[in-house]
Amino acid sequence: MCRAPSPSERNEGRVKRGSSVGIIANPASARDIRRLVAHGAAVTTNDKITILRRVLAGLASTDVTHVLSMTDLAGISAGLWALADKPSAACWPKLEFVDQVVEQTAADTVAATEAMVAAGVGAIVVLGGDGTNRIVASVCDDIPLVSISTGTNNAFARRIEPTVAGIAAGLVATGRVDVGAVVSRAKVLTVESGSRSERALVDVAVIDGDVVGAGAVWDPATISQLFLCFAEPDAIGLSSIGGQVCPTDRFDPAGLVVDIGRPAVRTLRAPIAPGLVVGVDVASVSTLAPGQAVVVRASSGVVALDGERLFRFGRHDRPIVTLGSDGPLELDVRETLAQAARTGVMSVPGRRCA
Amino acid sequence: MQQLNRLDLYREMVRIRQYESRILQEYHADKKPAWDIGAGLIPGEMHLSAGQEPAAVGVCAHLKQGDAITAPHRPHHFALAHGVDMKAMTAEIYGRTTGLCQGKGGHMHLFDPENHFSCSGIIAQGYPVACGQAMAMKRKGTDNVAVAVAGEGAANQGAFHESLNLAAVWNLPVVFVIEDNDWAISVPRSHSTATASNADRAAGYGMPGVRVEENDVEAIFEAAGAAIDRARAGEGPSLLEIHTLRLWGHFEGDAQAYRGAELDTVDERDPIPRYAAKLVELGELTEDQTESIAAEAAAEVDAAIAFAVDSPIPAPEDALLHVFA
Repeated sequence: MCRAPSPSERNEGRVKRGSSVGIIANPASARDIRRLVAHGAAVTTNDKITILRRVLAGLASTDVTHVLSMTDLAGISAGLWALADKPSAACWPKLEFVDQVVEQTAADTVAATEAMVAAGVGAIVVLGGDGTNRIVASVCDDIPLVSISTGTNNAFARRIEPTVAGIAAGLVATGRVDVGAVVSRAKVLTVESGSRSERALVDVAVIDGDVVGAGAVWDPATISQLFLCFAEPDAIGLSSIGGQVCPTDRFDPAGLVVDIGRPAVRTLRAPIAPGLVVGVDVASVSTLAPGQAVVVRASSGVVALDGERLFRFGRHDRPIVTLGSDGPLELDVRETLAQAARTGVMSVPGRRCA
Repeated sequence: MQQLNRLDLYREMVRIRQYESRILQEYHADKKPAWDIGAGLIPGEMHLSAGQEPAAVGVCAHLKQGDAITAPHRPHHFALAHGVDMKAMTAEIYGRTTGLCQGKGGHMHLFDPENHFSCSGIIAQGYPVACGQAMAMKRKGTDNVAVAVAGEGAANQGAFHESLNLAAVWNLPVVFVIEDNDWAISVPRSHSTATASNADRAAGYGMPGVRVEENDVEAIFEAAGAAIDRARAGEGPSLLEIHTLRLWGHFEGDAQAYRGAELDTVDERDPIPRYAAKLVELGELTEDQTESIAAEAAAEVDAAIAFAVDSPIPAPEDALLHVFA
């Protein structure tokens, strides 16, 4: 069930190459209510700028010539812009910003990603949590994503040092590694409800009641059903529930459906948010096959995507959830650097910072 | 956490908006010459809170008897949501002897000891006061909380930082609320503040910092409830930044030329019609109810204004009463 695919299986999409890399940094990530109801860490704007400096240092060691960054009004792009002409940034690739109307909503991430697709960047570095990656993934086409965790729940993004992530993104964007061998296609859950169609990269949760409120999900008593793309045993977030009853690898073609409530076949403790380990009654677990469309059990409620309550539904627009294999291309940073080690790419002095 | 009661939240927001709309009317009604802020029935500067109702209503829904609020120079929404008597408050705004401070404070200095409500025209001044109140609550062993409210510009005052530090050191039951309405009078945040969100600053004082990006009363209700519950349980202070909307000027008479194109869309972003539409869609509000809630609020406001207008103006010699020197 947990077999990793061969490189040829992973390389099913056509990877675009170029000498530019996009940067999406969600200024709003890691600031929601989970700092109060759980113990989510703060990742401040200045932290995010520092992370991007490290990404840019990594990119600068490759042949990437241009970086296209999302524009925000929350200080990240302004911070980068202010640094760009400083001596410490002399080796950076040319830094440009997406010319976009900033609405200070998720629409900004969509607009920036679309601009990067149009510009033909060779990779997109994403700073955010599962929610940010979900939005980027909805429009990023076949551009490989390098996701760096700066959110609250980070099941999709893996922990990685930004400098190394920058090097990997640069090597992939410039074709200095065999891209097909270092990217893999993620799974995706599609939720259709009335005229609405949304996608999730990790989990879809059906929540009782009709309150969208502050977004995040932290009360297990409100969850009635979970659909999971994958469920790693050491995950944080809602997918940790599946991770403890039926670990499911991100490369496994199938996903999981977990019904929550009583009578329970098993009650377990699961870390559904940072610092929040709660008791969860699992009523049933079943495999979600690729392409299998499942109607949610509840006749009304709220749908949460990747941990964030998003919309209400009733009996007339009861959601249908389908697991697909057409998610975004994920870049494996470790494999990229391993390949670089084998081929000696990094032994060549960087173009700017030799 | 308190149960969400949508109709109550809506009713309170409408009540506040009716109040601010009528004060706006009354303030300008007889101000002659128009540029003389001392003229007319309501003397002095006037800072109205239209657009910021979700912040006050979402926070105050969790407060109970004995909880305290220190509000800033734009205080009416928090005063009303916290249960300050509308008549006594209006009489104070009109400078009458029946007012909360017998007409000596005016709209920026509403003091209501019974409800533990105060406000001040001095920016960030309520932050240290809330720490003092929270310390008293803690020493008395109650589960009361103090809520300090200020604008995003106020977070650049020393008092803001000193208060966060002290509250963290002493683990005080205080919730620091920042109403970020994008404008500190005429100064945008990017020109005055080194960090994009004041929630980030909480990290430096070892307390949780949360930013509610939407001016949505239900999102604010949940986040404020979590912060207030946490303080009641003895888990210490937290900071809640609410991205809200200043529908009107900084003060009445402010031409707002500095707002540019942003001003063109404020009406579309008005949180109250948006919430009404949501409640109608949910089947929790009917057209009839919308009208009756508005009429009820209007009647209460009319009565408060009539009370203020009919109340005596302080005698000149009263100026020497209740002063220290």
